[in-house]
Amino acid sequence: MPDAPAVPQVEKRVVLDLDRCIECKSCMAACFYGHVKMTGINFVDIGPAVLPVVCRQCADAACVEVCPAKAMTRDESGVVARGIFSCRGCGSCVRACPFGVLSLEMAGHQVAKCDLCEDRLARGLEPRCAAACPTGALRFVTAAEAEAEGLAVLGGRIAGDHPIQRR
Amino acid sequence: MSSRPVPQSADAAAARCLLCNVGCPVRVMRDGPDRYLPDYVPHAGYAGLCARGSILAELLDHPERLVAASRRSGDALAPCDTAAAVAEAAALRDGGPAAVIADGNHDLESIACAARLAAACGGRWAVHLPPGDAGLVASMDSSGCRFIGPEDLAGADALLVIGNVYATHPVAAHWVFEARRLRPRTPVLVMADGCGVTAEFARDVFQPRLAAGEAARAVAAVRTGRTEALGAEGKALAAWKDRLRAGKSPAVVVSAELGYADAAALGAEVAALAKELGASVCPLTTYGNAWGAMRLAAAGKAATVEQVLADPPRTLLVIGADVESALGCAAVAPALAKVSRLIYVGPMPNRMSDQASVVLPAAFAFERAGRALLGPGREVRFGPLLRPPLGVPTVGEVLAGLGGRADAADVSASVPLAAAAAPSAASAAPEGGGLLLAPAGDPFHFADGSLTRRASWPQAVRPRPVLAMRDADAAAAGLAEKSRAVVEGPGGSVEVEVVTSAAQRGGQARASAAFREVRNIFAWNAGGPPPGGPVRVRIRKP
Repeated sequence: MPDAPAVPQVEKRVVLDLDRCIECKSCMAACFYGHVKMTGINFVDIGPAVLPVVCRQCADAACVEVCPAKAMTRDESGVVARGIFSCRGCGSCVRACPFGVLSLEMAGHQVAKCDLCEDRLARGLEPRCAAACPTGALRFVTAAEAEAEGLAVLGGRIAGDHPIQRR
Repeated sequence: MSSRPVPQSADAAAARCLLCNVGCPVRVMRDGPDRYLPDYVPHAGYAGLCARGSILAELLDHPERLVAASRRSGDALAPCDTAAAVAEAAALRDGGPAAVIADGNHDLESIACAARLAAACGGRWAVHLPPGDAGLVASMDSSGCRFIGPEDLAGADALLVIGNVYATHPVAAHWVFEARRLRPRTPVLVMADGCGVTAEFARDVFQPRLAAGEAARAVAAVRTGRTEALGAEGKALAAWKDRLRAGKSPAVVVSAELGYADAAALGAEVAALAKELGASVCPLTTYGNAWGAMRLAAAGKAATVEQVLADPPRTLLVIGADVESALGCAAVAPALAKVSRLIYVGPMPNRMSDQASVVLPAAFAFERAGRALLGPGREVRFGPLLRPPLGVPTVGEVLAGLGGRADAADVSASVPLAAAAAPSAASAAPEGGGLLLAPAGDPFHFADGSLTRRASWPQAVRPRPVLAMRDADAAAAGLAEKSRAVVEGPGGSVEVEVVTSAAQRGGQARASAAFREVRNIFAWNAGGPPPGGPVRVRIRKP
């Protein structure tokens, strides 16, 4: 039986250094204004902090599998993007996302979805959220770079010594 | 490409956000006839951009923006020909008492034009600044401290941070984090609310009581080691001076946080402490050009806004300032009733334009090239973000048309203010029972009357006001985390969501100031306490 074709993967992901996030929502503003006033970043309240979660561009993306309209697709660079004309806003992807990245708050009957700011990637720039982050909490890095900095991946975020308590 | 930000440095070509005195470079691309994209290009030492800086793009084509002149016809303003409006505004020079009040967050040249126009018509002039900014600048400018900009904080090895500056000046936090990254043992000592984000990253926190002057008293306690006036909570401050002195290059970051800042007294105490420690001082103000505006006002012998209103002129020209929102109806309405002709020049409508006889549109400060003084020794020259829409003139062009032309080469804000008598910290907490409540600063509208209130995004991201209080206080009121509570204050009541924290000082709470319904309960605009001041409230279940 022939092997299944390899799924393209993104080289870099947006991850969060919990020890630097001051919850200023600059990332959300940058995403909001960069994506026709729809933001692909959500904030989750984990009690001691309210932190941004950004799409991980999963290798085995549940949102792609469940979308009945085939609006969630992976492009050749590995980015999972939402087709602007085919999304019906049914919310299936929102319920399927294991990280709670997608939001039920819909604008224009579409689910807002991070596309890693493909327009900026094409210009050799990093996504708006990482570029706007004042403290360098959001980082656009490869897994190797994250490992080299001694950070551990935790549930879609990168945390310091302790997942909740800051230094 | 590395995602780690790099230190910020001057970029003469860039536009600057003047919504605080960090003065971040901003770039915006036009993406259609009425669409703009902030461009987060890492140019010349870019260090991120906070939400307020991004909001500038929304203000460019804001639907409420003033783009045509109008004049009063009966109870309403009706659009009119710009030339006719200018002719009417030129009545400012017809003789009789006239005055000019300019918002202090314009570029230096525009403020100089306001002064020149006032001189040309023989009238008085004043610059409006938030009281916190005015107090800090007045008390610190002549102090002889070694002032630094936020970009120099990365070199500090001991930091005292006063106020919830990570919330109000997020980009300034960048260099505190850099200092911490470069020297992980750097002590970051914070005087601010325990439940605020700045305190979350502190090595040690002292939360002053909510009352005017408490922050100044706390700084004095650090300097003198005498903490009796601050109660048991203040004892730890006695050791802070030695901890700061242990650093080779200590620094003090100071902002006049609402609730416990008597800004003038705070500035004087910070200056005294910094000189004893040999520390640098990084003052953070709400207005980007607060320092420049204060120096030009002093050089031009400007009156205060209160002095202008105490003896109302026959004709009053207001440039961009929303004096009534800032000072309150009770203070301003009687004076405006005596003004026979109110002329408003600015980019957005506000309470002053609503009452004006003539309204002239003008560009935002960031739509023209100019200069601003972000702090002592921090004069920046900036370019326009984009051209104003529909040929709207700049403030300088409008004032030049009225006779207030100023030559940019003659405008200088290099002379510090004259030394003022060191003020003593004023008054204590408001009398009465219940909890003390103060407004909470936030990253997008940390100043009352801020332009960013006009933007749609903050409403989208924070749809509910919250009340931050100590967990024990909440339990005593029968409340828990995320439960609903009714706050009853002198101006009315509001229902909010409760956020509890063991780090919050007992007996006092903070509520989101970004919401009109929350601001109403303080009764600032109805003869109550000064804007930003704390009030006594009762908190109960709905």
